[in-house]
Amino acid sequence: MEKEIRFDDLNVGSEMSTLVKAPVDHMQLVKYSGASGDFNPLHTDPAVGKAVGIGQIAHGMLIMGFVGQAITDWVPKKFLKKLSVRFAGMTRPGDVVTVTGKVREKVAEGGLKKIVCDVQARNQKEEVLVSGFFEAVLP
Amino acid sequence: MADASAVGKEYPPFQWEVERGKIRELVQAIGDKNPVYVDRVAAVKAGYQDTPASPTYITCPMMWTNILFTFVKDMKIDFAKVLHGEETYEYFQEIYPGDTLTGKMKIVGMEQKSGKAGNMDIVRLEIMYSNQKNEPVLKATTMVVERK
Repeated sequence: MEKEIRFDDLNVGSEMSTLVKAPVDHMQLVKYSGASGDFNPLHTDPAVGKAVGIGQIAHGMLIMGFVGQAITDWVPKKFLKKLSVRFAGMTRPGDVVTVTGKVREKVAEGGLKKIVCDVQARNQKEEVLVSGFFEAVLP
Repeated sequence: MADASAVGKEYPPFQWEVERGKIRELVQAIGDKNPVYVDRVAAVKAGYQDTPASPTYITCPMMWTNILFTFVKDMKIDFAKVLHGEETYEYFQEIYPGDTLTGKMKIVGMEQKSGKAGNMDIVRLEIMYSNQKNEPVLKATTMVVERK
């Protein structure tokens, strides 16, 4: 097992490991619909996206899933206490999503060592898709 | 239409059984290869009782139980005009395969806003989940925007 991250290893501004995802493709959107239960055809039927005038777009929650993946690649799930995101942009098939984040605040109170980190998912054009923050209590 | 008097409205509790296969389906769809979500041995070694639900797993009960649509219908919201604005999860305990969750949804915010994109209603929903031991496990807060 890899060495777990520790509060004392981090400083304000420390960056979490960057996650670069494989391009989002149609099959991934079909799989995500089936897994999550979100069958809005906007995500899986290009004709619907075209009819609505915005084109086929990914589920926002899929991108939040990428954010969750990036965080728990860096900080074990058991330390994650809060994750909050705002959906800022639309993700399309072919987009390459990169998730980055860094420590905004370190709080040590009442024996708890907490980090607050800003996190963002961007596409290959550097457009923000999802932005938010998470809190984790570390050893 | 935004109905401020709906704030505080609570919906009947709903149940959801946590299945190992659903946890795996979701992380596979995301492409999250972290072994703790699918491999019990790896999970136990990493300090979990079993394979924990991944950070966004709780979207599954919201969609599969149709609780979101119960709300949309109840509030007479035009779903075709709804955008998911924000999502917040607070984690109190791990969720494991075999758990039976009870979700309690309530409306916690409802406001009208005018912006450059036109008028919109902003609705905030909270779902508090507890497990079969009646222990709180997760609180989900969803903000949706209905464009006018």
